Amino acid sequence: MSEVASPGARPPGARQAALKVTGLSVSYGNVVAVHDATFTVAQGDACAITGPNGNGKSSILMGVTGMVRRRGAVEIFGTKAPNGDVRWAARNGLTLVPERRQLYPELSAADNIILGCYCWTRSLGRARRSASFGRAIDLFPELKPHLKQAAGTLSGGQQQMVAIARGLASDPKILAVDEPCLGLAEVVARRVYDVLASIHEQGTTLIVVEEAPKRALTLCNRRVEVRNGVTDTPGGTTPPYPPGI
Amino acid sequence: MKFGNLLIAGLVTGSIYAVFAVCVAVWYRVCNILNLAVGDFAMVGALGVDNLYRVRGMPLAAAIVTTLVVVAVFAYVYDQVVLRLAQDGPRRMEGIVVTFFFTFALAFFIDGVAKMLFGSDVHAAPALWNGQALTWASLHFERAGLLVLACAIVIGVAFWVYIRFTLGGKALEASGENAIGARIAGIDTRRYRRLIFVGTALIAAVFGIVESPITGYTYLSGATISLTGFLAAAYGGFRKPGRALVAGLFIGVLEAMLGGYVSAEYGDTVLYALLAAAVLAWPRGLGFESAVSG
Repeated sequence: MSEVASPGARPPGARQAALKVTGLSVSYGNVVAVHDATFTVAQGDACAITGPNGNGKSSILMGVTGMVRRRGAVEIFGTKAPNGDVRWAARNGLTLVPERRQLYPELSAADNIILGCYCWTRSLGRARRSASFGRAIDLFPELKPHLKQAAGTLSGGQQQMVAIARGLASDPKILAVDEPCLGLAEVVARRVYDVLASIHEQGTTLIVVEEAPKRALTLCNRRVEVRNGVTDTPGGTTPPYPPGI
Repeated sequence: MKFGNLLIAGLVTGSIYAVFAVCVAVWYRVCNILNLAVGDFAMVGALGVDNLYRVRGMPLAAAIVTTLVVVAVFAYVYDQVVLRLAQDGPRRMEGIVVTFFFTFALAFFIDGVAKMLFGSDVHAAPALWNGQALTWASLHFERAGLLVLACAIVIGVAFWVYIRFTLGGKALEASGENAIGARIAGIDTRRYRRLIFVGTALIAAVFGIVESPITGYTYLSGATISLTGFLAAAYGGFRKPGRALVAGLFIGVLEAMLGGYVSAEYGDTVLYALLAAAVLAWPRGLGFESAVSG
């Protein structure tokens, strides 16, 4: 069905590292949100970043994608990512679907999605005809009747789907999804996870930040646990739950 | 025919309001700052060309180009220094300080410099299209007025096409809607802020040059222009360039009609009373509620 093996089937290190994070630290003023996080996500992985609220899960994604300044090294498919350059990350295959979706409320759903193409083109026509935009639209048949509607008037679940579709329009090799089910009804959350699973099946590497590990682990074959801003990979080299920062 | 001529005069004034309203609204849409200095760029355009051409004896084309270059460079530097410190730095400022203060200060700064450079008399850039007013079926078309209308149409259509039909235009809208969301899509919101700021400064300067033969400018004219642009933009909730344009045209025509039919002396007073009454009657319909909530 796809070139990606079922979760956990292959030994780590057999595939190319899609994302390699070494010694990542993120601070907001004097507050240290992430301290010295180190982990690797292999190509084709579905990796869950789990841990309690306020422990720096989202900050890891923000730092990795360049939304906030960081210390430490981030490599995307072997190339060192420049600090604070979201566009570079998106062009090189890493796109963020942020927490709380961060849509453009007065723009139509279709315009929201097509702006995902902005990282690789300036031409509206080319964006509309692109395979990645088509795929993003096709993945969510339930959005079809609402594409002309202002994104701010959509339901929470529909907005989440628009946010994921916008991420897909950038044609990512790694899709980093931050709390995809925040505030969604169970049945909608399940639909979101079904979509994420099919994105993964089509060969996209996934990183999912989830407060509730149970749901994430139905999809993911790897898990990075975050406590007090420090990562801990079960089965990895970092000791479990090191003391606070 | 009085009505027809008033309508033409009103459309010319209205198109000026409309263009400045669109400039204010588009930039607000991008970065949530109200450009209260946009009229001052018009004044600098008009008086700068006049000064270089009449006082310093430069050829007209060179004077226009020099003035536009100076305006563009100044706007660029202002964005790079002041707005960058205010909006992009580690200590980002929010709220009313950024929304009003910096461009308000800029307006005063430009006025002060203009008074020093150009004096306080009424001047105007030389008319670009000389000759008698054109007459058609007892309607009079001032040539300068036609130029203003033509410029307004070109600029209005250009903005419309850009926002409606290009990905860059949508990115521009997205920047103002949600700056974080825009950055996630790889949109450089600062670039759009700079682009539109410099662009609208240039548009304003061009308008000043084209329009000044009709009204004549002093170093203080900028404030009045900014104010009417601001007012018309408010009727579009500051965020809807299209509605700002219609509002600008409407205010211009209404002003001319009141001046012609009601009272030449109190036309403006009645105009502003009517505008205020309209806002009180239909706040939502005129976009004022969204202006308050941002």
